[in-house]
Amino acid sequence: MSTVVSTTKLHLNKREATFAVPLYITAMVAVISVLISLLFLRAGSVPGSAEWIESSRMNPGMIYALSGFLVYLGVQSVATTFPFALTLGSTRRSFAAGTLVWNVIMSAYLAVVFAVMLMLELATNHWFAGFYIFDIIVLGAGDLRLLIPIVFLSTLLLLTVGGVFGASWVRYGANGPVVLGVGIGIVIILALIVLIPQLPSMLASFELWWLAIAAVVAILASSLGTWTLLRSATVR
Amino acid sequence: MFTDDSPIFQQLADRVAEDILNGTYPEDTGVPSTNEYASFYGISPITAAKGMNVLVEQGLLYKKRGIGMFVAPGAPAQLRSERRAAFRDQHVAPLLREAALLGIDPQELAQMINQKESS
Amino acid sequence: MTHALDIQQVTRSFGRTAAVDNVSFQVPENSIVGLLGRNGAGKTTLMSMLAGQDRPDTGTVTVLGDKVFERANTLSGISYVRDNQRYPDNYMLHHVLRIAPAFKPNWSRELADELVDGFRIPAKTKITKMSRGQLSSVAIVLSLASRAPITLLDEPYLGLDVTGRALFHRVLLDDYQTHPRTIVLSTHLIEESAALLDRVVIMDKGRIVVDDETENARDGAFVASGQTDAVGRLLVNHRILETHTVGALASVTAAGTLDDTLRQSARVAGVQLARASLQELVSAYGVNESTSETKEKVRA
Repeated sequence: MSTVVSTTKLHLNKREATFAVPLYITAMVAVISVLISLLFLRAGSVPGSAEWIESSRMNPGMIYALSGFLVYLGVQSVATTFPFALTLGSTRRSFAAGTLVWNVIMSAYLAVVFAVMLMLELATNHWFAGFYIFDIIVLGAGDLRLLIPIVFLSTLLLLTVGGVFGASWVRYGANGPVVLGVGIGIVIILALIVLIPQLPSMLASFELWWLAIAAVVAILASSLGTWTLLRSATVR
Repeated sequence: MFTDDSPIFQQLADRVAEDILNGTYPEDTGVPSTNEYASFYGISPITAAKGMNVLVEQGLLYKKRGIGMFVAPGAPAQLRSERRAAFRDQHVAPLLREAALLGIDPQELAQMINQKESS
Repeated sequence: MTHALDIQQVTRSFGRTAAVDNVSFQVPENSIVGLLGRNGAGKTTLMSMLAGQDRPDTGTVTVLGDKVFERANTLSGISYVRDNQRYPDNYMLHHVLRIAPAFKPNWSRELADELVDGFRIPAKTKITKMSRGQLSSVAIVLSLASRAPITLLDEPYLGLDVTGRALFHRVLLDDYQTHPRTIVLSTHLIEESAALLDRVVIMDKGRIVVDDETENARDGAFVASGQTDAVGRLLVNHRILETHTVGALASVTAAGTLDDTLRQSARVAGVQLARASLQELVSAYGVNESTSETKEKVRA
């Protein structure tokens, strides 16, 4: 049991990658968002106009930029940390559990950071200049009740999916991620084949919380997958 | 530091015995501890303890609980008489054999020994 | 006598090759054991199983009286750093030193500091960029400062310079005396570590060929050298392990004990006899049976 906590500490041991790098990336995306806004300005768009607000809020750059890093963090948290955790004396079970705890801590951290930034953005009337960096459509268009679960769940999803790919590499070598990726692709296509006749009616009754449920399911599946793969992995 | 010819514990025992004989460790004085020998010679403490036990069993060393090992009274004399007994077999006999091979007669040999001592 | 390690009929195969083939042995508590043999003899596979990083296909591994695979309690008492240990991305020395105490209840910061200082491990170099000797130094720090009741050292000397090897020996012996533990050490630098070893386990092709106290093991073989035919006649009833010939001379490692009868016949035949060194013993057991035509030359 105690090695669950130790494994979480092991992940938190790299303080910069864990806490600072997401902030750097967020800051860089913020700069890029501002530059894009300036581009609009030079193109003749008027800050604060309906057209300005709409196009600014469509910018999903924040999500893309962080996604890549979070998947990498998820992959390495298993691929290179697992052999070292075993060397330190962690069990495979504790490692999987401790990694999930760390994923949750990371997700909560980013959700809090984004919530604070959104509140700042709203309080300063979009940084006194009409810049829409956190008040964007994909993050819930300025609604904290949407932004917090969106950031939390998507971070958790990206980290756990990265983790299961890392675990497949530890377990099966270079073939692991390829087979896992193709496998997931096939499952999605098969699901579409089955569901496609009902798809229009399903989309008509689509609710946002469906996505949350889907994310939770995928997070649980990835975490269980990570544990299953690591249970029988041979370290070399 | 040790040769391959005999077990390391035996070689350690021989070395400590030599130091008792030549007066490095007089009677009733302490000898270095097993751990000190182990560290000094880079050998396993178990091996070092085995070597020291050889001397304890021969009555050359005695243990004071919690303090260490000491040279037994009479140990130098005991060693001396043992080694004197073996001296003829181990040293004189080979010397005579080699001398015979080289055609050195006992008189010439005695002369060489006397020269060595006087020089 | 308590056994710190107890391996019973353990087999572990990868594909069709048995890396460890029906192996049984015990290691007494608080002793230093050498695990010796050629590359691919199965040493690392055996150590992995002792450390709970791998599971036998059949057989049982008992460490400190308990099972080891997925047992957190047992694992906390074991230290095992692989010879090609992987570390998390971007790790530097301070990451290792900071996290180790979270897993190792007996961690000694003083000992770690002493070793880091003595080995001159660079503080600002990523572990992935370190030289072979520096990697070995990090592994030794992790192994010894853990003060784990079971310490498994896999090729600890790789790439270490002469000062580093001496430091490792000194600290190992000193700390072992103040904090006794069971140490299993695998190495190819046999002469250098021979004096440390209370016991030796020699493996070849996944099997154990020798498992004994070091001095007894060395009594189990000897080297005879002299005229090839004289050596051949002398050893006609002995199992020959390894043969070197040059011109009409042969030097033969044979199994068996040196006794007075043998010494007497050797003197008559003009053959020199010597106890096998540990290195000669290990080398001899690693020779392929199929390349033994030189043995026939001696026999003829």
